[in-house]
Amino acid sequence: MKIVLVGNPNVGKSVVFSYLTGYTAISSNYPGTTVDILKGKTRLCNNECEVVDVPGCYSLEGESVAEKVASEIIKSKDYDIIFNVIDSNNLERNLLLTLELLALRKPIVIIATKTDIAKNKGIDIDYDNLSDILDIKIFPVVATAGIGFSVLEREVSAVFNNFKLPVPKIEIPSDITEKWKMIGEITLKVQKIYHKHPSFLERLEEITTTPVTAIPLAFVLIIISFYVIRFIGEGIINYVFDPLFNNYYMPLVDRFSSFFNEGFLKNIIFSKNMTPLEGFSVLTTGIYVSFVVVLPYVFAFYLILSVLEDIGYLPRLAVILDRLSHKIGLHGYGSIPLIMGLGCKVPGIFSLRILESNREKIIAASLLFLISPCMPQSAMIFAILSKYPLIYTGIVFVYIFFVGILASYVLNKMLKGTSDDLFIEIPPYHKPVFKNLVFKMRLRITQFLLDAVPFVMGGILLINILDIFSILDLLSKYFAPVLNKIFSLPAQTSSIVMLGFLKKDVAITLLAPFNLSLKEIMVSCFFLVTYMPCLASIFVLLKELGKKITFYVIVFNLLISLIFTFIFSQSLKLLF
Amino acid sequence: MKTNLAKANNKKLKVVQINGGHNILKKLNSMGIFDGSLIEKIASYNHGPVIVKVMNSQLAIGRGMAEKIIVEEV
Ligand SMILES: Nc1nc2c(ncn2[C@@H]2O[C@H](COP(=O)(O)OP(=O)(O)OP(=O)(O)O)[C@@H](O)[C@H]2O)c(=O)[nH]1
Ligand SMILES: [Mg+2]
Repeated sequence: MKIVLVGNPNVGKSVVFSYLTGYTAISSNYPGTTVDILKGKTRLCNNECEVVDVPGCYSLEGESVAEKVASEIIKSKDYDIIFNVIDSNNLERNLLLTLELLALRKPIVIIATKTDIAKNKGIDIDYDNLSDILDIKIFPVVATAGIGFSVLEREVSAVFNNFKLPVPKIEIPSDITEKWKMIGEITLKVQKIYHKHPSFLERLEEITTTPVTAIPLAFVLIIISFYVIRFIGEGIINYVFDPLFNNYYMPLVDRFSSFFNEGFLKNIIFSKNMTPLEGFSVLTTGIYVSFVVVLPYVFAFYLILSVLEDIGYLPRLAVILDRLSHKIGLHGYGSIPLIMGLGCKVPGIFSLRILESNREKIIAASLLFLISPCMPQSAMIFAILSKYPLIYTGIVFVYIFFVGILASYVLNKMLKGTSDDLFIEIPPYHKPVFKNLVFKMRLRITQFLLDAVPFVMGGILLINILDIFSILDLLSKYFAPVLNKIFSLPAQTSSIVMLGFLKKDVAITLLAPFNLSLKEIMVSCFFLVTYMPCLASIFVLLKELGKKITFYVIVFNLLISLIFTFIFSQSLKLLF
Repeated sequence: MKTNLAKANNKKLKVVQINGGHNILKKLNSMGIFDGSLIEKIASYNHGPVIVKVMNSQLAIGRGMAEKIIVEEV
């Protein structure tokens, strides 16, 4: 048996999916959270059923990649029953897709979510009546609290055991205006809206939608987020992880290393200098970088991002950024992949799917690599420049930002056509659900640890081996003149550049043992962040956008990076 | 008086015509904006998007697209 979860974006399909399967699917309060299909086994009907979480769509004729993925699955009819998830706050709008689904003549039931919110807003829906009119079963639920599912489970099991699933019979007009007319009549019969005083959240919605208040508030919020991330990140490092590392972990490693005789193995694992950010040892530098320097920032970033996502702020930010985005060839929703990219490029690239045209995807992808260093990179830049005044860290980030904007401005002029128009639904604010936050944080942190830690350790190991066999010196000979002439960087840095595309944060860490000057560190940081996407993101980009576009994006990246690293190094020379 | 959605006042409006290609029409239609539908404009950004209330949900519509939607006050 195969169940598909189908519905408009942001109605709660992923929450229902997580409930039915016991897995964690990421859910957030903005349309387009799920961009790919997710599958899982449900506990319903003795674990015999498969559930598929389908990206949201407003109708079966949608244009974005995510919507096409959805309508392809739905039209294939390769499933036994549709669970049509609808948002009870938006009955009328949701019913269009429902009618289209009914016309497919496949077995179908409706799950109406967010009944808790609807009740607070004074929306009263007569589900029995609706069920009679549409001639299908409807289950009102509070998906986030798991309320209402027991009825669903009972009924669905009964239906499954019967094995003959009823097919809807109601007559559906084919013309869309006729469909809306029919929906209007149905809604009039089953829905009553009582007037309520606007709640706190509704007032907040108002002041964050009206331009005069919304724009300054967005500024304030971005600045606050930045400081909070830094505050939490620094706090965890200085008061928790760094002391733990120095007081408990280092003595342990010291003791452990004394068991080894001097020689090859010892050199690979411990290297000559065990001080984390000076030497280059798998057990000290590797652990220190992953857990002490990077993890606290990753944690802080995702905490803030998850809260903003769940409240429902991101679409409003997109609206505010729309006009600016058009200047660089994007519309406001293009900011969503960029924001995701500040955490990690990989989810950022996936969420390019919410954009429609290839033109926009190319621009957004290029911008993603140029403008938004992922959290591990940012954290390493913070760390390596931490012994200098904060202004230098600021200069590096501002320069990265400036180059990114300039590059996509140029790209926008170069590419044919114009940018698409923004067209998104702005969801009402929700109170963040604590359980969901914990879910999401756990998922993202685990993902980070699984992806990053082996790479960091492996990268360091690799460098040590290459170093011992003098391969690094060999590489340096070839690349050194280039780096030296163009960017005025010392010869050793060339080996880092080679490793940089495996894992950027490792590369930045590698700068530490070389005793570079402040200027050299700043230039290397900029170059390492921009010159090429990391291996993981190249793979995902290939999968998402194909060989040709990936190739162009990488070449463009490299070109911009070379030019602006040169300019950066020259101007820094002039300045100090 | 007929005007386009970008220029209209923040009020209850009736859509009288959509001057767009097949794709735009399809998109707008599927969100409940079609000839004869009632919408309410609630905010408008200078040279930026327009925000409307359609049925029970809020939509942000880019300026270019808003200019293609002809409305009249009701
Ligand atoms: N209060 C309340 N919130 C809900 C309920 N169901 C879902 N939500 C919230 O609604 C938001 C959207 O949920 P998702 O599961 O991401 O929606 P989706 O349908 O998967 O959305 P897309 O993947 O974007 O199509 C999240 O913030 C959920 O926490 C509910 O029954 N009550
Ligand atoms: Mg989802």
